[in-house]
Formats: sequence, structure tokens, C-alpha cells
Amino acid sequence: MRRIWIALRVFFATLLRAEVAAEVERILMPTEPSAPPEPRPAPKPAAKKPAVAGRSDALTLLATLQREARFVDFIKEPLAGFSDAQIGAAARDVHRDCGKVLERLFAVRPIVDQEEGSPLEVPAGFDAGRYQLTGNVTGEPPFSGRLRHHGWEATACQLPSWSGSQAAARTLAAVEVEL
Amino acid sequence: MTAKYIVGIDLGTTNSVLAYASLEREDPQVELLPIPQLVAPGTVEPRPVLPSFTYLAGEHERGGGAFDLPWQSRREFAVGEVARARAAEVPDRTVGAAKSWLCHSRVDRHQPILPWNAPADVPKISPVTASRRYLEHLGAAWEATFPDAPIAEQHVVLTVPASFDAAARELTREAALAAGLPESLVLLEEPQAATYWWLATTGDRWRRMLSVGDTLLVCDVGGGTTDLSLVTAAEEDGELVLERMAVGNHLLVGGDNMDLALAHHVAGLFAEQGVNLDPWQSVALWHSCRNAKESLFAPGGPDKHAITVLGRGSKLIGGTISVEVDRQAVSQLLVDGFFPRSEVTERAARRRASGFREIGLPFESDTAVTRHLAGFLQAHGREGAPVRPSHVLFNGGVFKAGAFRRRLVEVLAAWFAGEPVTELPATADDLDHAVAKGAASYGWAKHRGGVRIRGGTARAYYVGIETAGPAVPGAPRPLRALCVVPMDMEEGTETEVPGDEIGLVVGEPAQFRFFSSSVRKHDKPGDVLASWPEGELVETDPLETELSADEAIEDAYVPVRFQPRVTELGLLELWCVSTNSEGRWKLEFSVREQAAGEAP
Repeated sequence: MRRIWIALRVFFATLLRAEVAAEVERILMPTEPSAPPEPRPAPKPAAKKPAVAGRSDALTLLATLQREARFVDFIKEPLAGFSDAQIGAAARDVHRDCGKVLERLFAVRPIVDQEEGSPLEVPAGFDAGRYQLTGNVTGEPPFSGRLRHHGWEATACQLPSWSGSQAAARTLAAVEVEL
Repeated sequence: MTAKYIVGIDLGTTNSVLAYASLEREDPQVELLPIPQLVAPGTVEPRPVLPSFTYLAGEHERGGGAFDLPWQSRREFAVGEVARARAAEVPDRTVGAAKSWLCHSRVDRHQPILPWNAPADVPKISPVTASRRYLEHLGAAWEATFPDAPIAEQHVVLTVPASFDAAARELTREAALAAGLPESLVLLEEPQAATYWWLATTGDRWRRMLSVGDTLLVCDVGGGTTDLSLVTAAEEDGELVLERMAVGNHLLVGGDNMDLALAHHVAGLFAEQGVNLDPWQSVALWHSCRNAKESLFAPGGPDKHAITVLGRGSKLIGGTISVEVDRQAVSQLLVDGFFPRSEVTERAARRRASGFREIGLPFESDTAVTRHLAGFLQAHGREGAPVRPSHVLFNGGVFKAGAFRRRLVEVLAAWFAGEPVTELPATADDLDHAVAKGAASYGWAKHRGGVRIRGGTARAYYVGIETAGPAVPGAPRPLRALCVVPMDMEEGTETEVPGDEIGLVVGEPAQFRFFSSSVRKHDKPGDVLASWPEGELVETDPLETELSADEAIEDAYVPVRFQPRVTELGLLELWCVSTNSEGRWKLEFSVREQAAGEAP
């Protein structure tokens, strides 16, 4: 339970505070050059463009989730007054489209490919950033235990790049006016 | 500098894909190029496909780098995902299906006519320009990824529909060269490309899967078009060889029609609940229907699927409307609507021209792919019997739904008294990308050796000759058709058309009406047709040439014979060769006048 709470706090802190995002990125991707299995050389970075301050990747992610899955609309709408069925109908679409974005940008995969509840051996020299041990932790690794959560990892990290104006950098969804 | 890569480009009606293989490797390893493109104003993301749409930005949108790309700033238009999204929101400023316009010979494809029927203040572009832009984007994306291997120095294979006639191929090539692709560019028919990919993924096992006398039907249903080809397996020097035997006509029916049909059905269900959809919701519905189609037709898919249109504006949940559709009904609507169980003798219903018909794209009025297929197999059969395909290879995202594949195989088996039709395997990924990947495999086979499909021209071509005789006021002179290029004329060959000489007037443009046929297999160069069954000959763009008076020609006219040539690159050329001097003049399609005032 506590980990869910921590995870949620990390999620929002990552989204809203650049310094936390940088730290989380450092923890999640310790070996940056080799970690994401990038099969092809990435397109040339937009180095020659006129100097635009750019925008935080967190905003770009949020704008993508809004554009493709209406994420901000969904979270910002007060739920009081709607039946579970009404919420469910909208949530299904938002859920599916958020999933597509996560898949495309991060290719999120379980860290351990094993049934939760099954026995698991934690090898000696494991990375504490990838395995969290709970319960009666004594002695030296390798440890034998039971898998409680298979973990998640981003096997890619490919956010869109931003070339818009400074004024528009914080826009998550543009004002829409029909003429 | 020598080429390092084979680049295969699928310039699609709705999506374009680029695949490549390094020539420095010993075996062909075909990869897809991620294409950086605008997915929203100011937001660039690499995607595996480039939607073939152009958005023409308004005056107020142009500043602020909203349409900048990593390789170009201050652009006034956008192609790719952002343009596709805008197609629904701002249809008057979005160009789609440029490729279908390329082979529509009733309009001048160099004129800025797209977006079709857009208001006068919208900048317009020609179908050729639109195609050029997609290819330019692909070329720039390529060079951004491989700065050391300029696209103009690679071996590039560009695919075209098998149903494209010589004029449409010429226009495609023109757009490609203008986009900076190399002169050595090779055009390859899309169903053949799909077959090459099947060969590449099957390896040598294909020789055990096909045997002499087998006929392979390639059924390619894309977003907006359906393309049919027949490939036969024959024996030559004890080796199994493949030969492209026939291609179908250009059919403007595809996956988009299916999504629209489903959306129409669901809009009816909403109307029963008393909900009428506004145009914006209709577009959202269209997308929901596409998702529903994929989900319902997936193996082990649900029996019912809720189709939801999220509320407009920021009030998402409150405005959401939802209706349940069941698989049975959807399957009936789409499978029976597009792949009905028909007889092999049935023909697709033909549109009757009415006096008020618009000149827009000639969409098929009969959406039954099976009836078009029956017509195609009949047209290429012998002695009144249709061709019996022994194998079928599917291509196009539509066929991810197994229901369509099963139905087509079932219908084919029923047509031929239950004789089995074997479906050749293709993965879901292949269905979307096989054409580009196959183009790269073909390029590889061409340069490094490998199985080739023998083709030649897919059509026979005819020049229209007016008969001599007294003129009748008000009636056109009867027209005869002189066969100049036979069907299956091989690449890299030329021939001379026997028969009477034709007189070309010096100093005046000479223009010839030009016809093609995808069904008349037995006409030889020099054959003259006085009449033909309706539909066997299709008129394409006229050909013209001008003999300038200063070419040391004394007579007022020059007697010539026609000399057709099919180049190694698969291009058809028709020359007029003087019979009494050394003169030769190439006939050009007269679709070439570059229109003045066209937007860049």
C-alpha cells in the first residue's frame, strides 16, 4: 500500500518538478548510453534551429496524453454527480488511449517476467534500484523470496521534441474556436 | 560515390513508409525508418508511417515555429500526422488522396486543384506537388538519420499501384525526381512488392509452397484503394520462376469505406437513442469505429463492444455518449457488405454517368470487393472460364481482421467447386509494411542477386488513329486503335510497329489520343482495332510531340513509324522514327504544362 502512495507521489512530483524528474530519470536509467534498446541512430537533434527555450519534457508528455487520450480533461473533471457507469464509459476510452501512448513512448514492460506470487531468487550483486526487498531482510544475497510485484520499466524513452513558441510552451491543449 | 543502401518507398494513398537495407551487409536486413514528423503544432515525433496528407496553414498560423521541422523552419504547410488530424477538423485546408488524383486523367494534374472544391482564398497545390512533398519529407527524414548517405546517391525503389497506367507512372517519377530522388529510381508495382516481401520472409521454402502451374492472387486492400494482381509459377531450365500475369483496374474502395460504413451504422443507433451527432462528433465516431472494428475482429474478440464518443470541450464525462454494437451485426455489415458471397459470373455494378456528375474522384459505386475480383478473374481467364488462383497473398491493414481473409478464401473456394485455395501467411506487421519492405528486398535482389518476378508492361497500349474519309458535319471521324505496345513487353526491350506510316506535320504539335487495356492479351504491335467491347480500352492522357521546322526537314510532313521502348527502369517510351531520315522524336504525355501561380 505504502509503495503505491510513494509511486503516486513520485509520479506527480516527476510531472510537476523538473529537478525531481531529472533525479528520477537518473535512477531509472543509470546506464543511459546502453539502456534503451534503440535499434537505429536517432535523427539528428534539432541543433540548427533558432534558439528556442524549448519546454520541459514533462509538459510535452502531458500535452501528448491530453491530445491523444484526453487525460487532462478526464482528471480535471469533478466526478461528483456522475454515476460509475458514466465514468466507466469515458474511462474505457481514456484508459485505452493512455495505454497506447505509454506503449509508443516508453514501451513499458514488467522487469521480471514471472507470475506474481511465485518464488523468486534475487541474485547477489542485485541493483537496489531494480529490486525492493520487504519483510524479513537478513543475511547476504542471493535471497529467496516470493514475487509480489513484477515491477515496470520503460524499455524506450522517446518523447516528441518541441519547436513551438515560448508563449505556447505551457499550452497543454489549445483554445478551440469553431468559425 | 557508390550507394550504401537500398531504399524502398511505399508512397501510399493514405500512408507512406520507407524501408531500407544496407548494401554493406552480406544478407538483406530490411529495417523501417522512423519518420520524424509534426504530430501537433510545434511537436515533432518519429513515427513508422507518414500519413500522406498536407495541411496548408493559414496566414495567422505561420509564425512561432508551429510547423518547423528539425531540418526546415518557417514552413507554411505540414505533412504527416498533424495534417491527417487536421483533415477532419479543417477539411478545406487539407489535401488527401493525392495519389488517387495522380491517375485521374480527367483533370490536369499539374494544376493547383487540391484541396478539391476549397474556397478561393485557400492556397492550392497540384496532385504532383503534394506527392513531391511527401517524398521530400521522406528524403529529408532519411538524410537526418543517415547524413553520410544522401538519398540521391542510394538505390531507390518507389512503388506504384499495379493499376497505374503509363501517364500516372510518369507523373509519379516526375514528382520523385523533383523531390531529389535519383535518376536511377526504379518503379515497382505494389502487389509485386508485397510478393517480394513474402519471398524474403519465406526464404527458399517458397519453392516447396508453390509448384509449376500455380497461380498466386495478390489482394491488396489499402485505406482508399484495392489493387489486384496475378502471379504464376512456371518452370524454366528446371528452375521455378515467377511471372506477373495480370493486374486489375484502379478501384477506389478500401478500408476507409468500411470505417465509414460502420460509423454510419452506429450513428443510426445513436439516432435511435435520440442523440444526433454534430460534425465533430461524427469524426470522433469514425475513429472509435476503427478501434471497434479492430477489437471486434481480433481473434477471441468480445461479442459486444461499447462505442463511445467522448464529450467535446473540457467536460469529458458529462458529454460522453455510448452505444453497444455486437460482433454479429458488425460482421454482417462489413463482411457481407464488402466481401459478399457472390457468383463468379457476377459483375460489379457500374455507375451510370449522369449529366450532373461532379468531376471529383471516381469512387466505386459498388463496394463489393468480391464482385470486382470476379470480374478481374473472368477478364484474364481462357475460353470464358475465369482464372483459378491456387494461392492468395493478402496485403493491407484491412486484412488484420481474419473475418475478411476467411470470407475471401471461402468465396474463392466456392467459385471453383471447392478446390482449395491456400492462404499464404503474413503477420499483422507485414500487412502494413510489406510493400516498402518488399521494395527494399526487390532492390537487394536486383543488385545482389535473388528471385525476381518477371513482369513486363501490365497493359497493352494503343494510339488512336482517325480514319480517312469524307467528313460528316457534327460527327467525329470514326476512331481506330493501333496497338503499339503489347501486354508483357519486357523491360529493356524495344520494338518497331509494322504497318502503314503515319504523317507528322512539321512545325506543328502532333497529338495522339492514347489508350490502354489490361485485358487484351493477344494484340500485337501493328494490329488495328476498328471496334472493341465497351470497357476493354481505357483512354489515358494524350501523347504529343513537335517537329521543329529547323531540323533540316524539307518536306511539309515526315512519314514516321512508332517505336516503343520499355527502359530497364520500367518506363514506357514511345518514339516516332522517320522512315526517310535519321530523325527520331519522343512522344510525351501532354500533362506537362507547369501551371502558373501554383503555391510552392
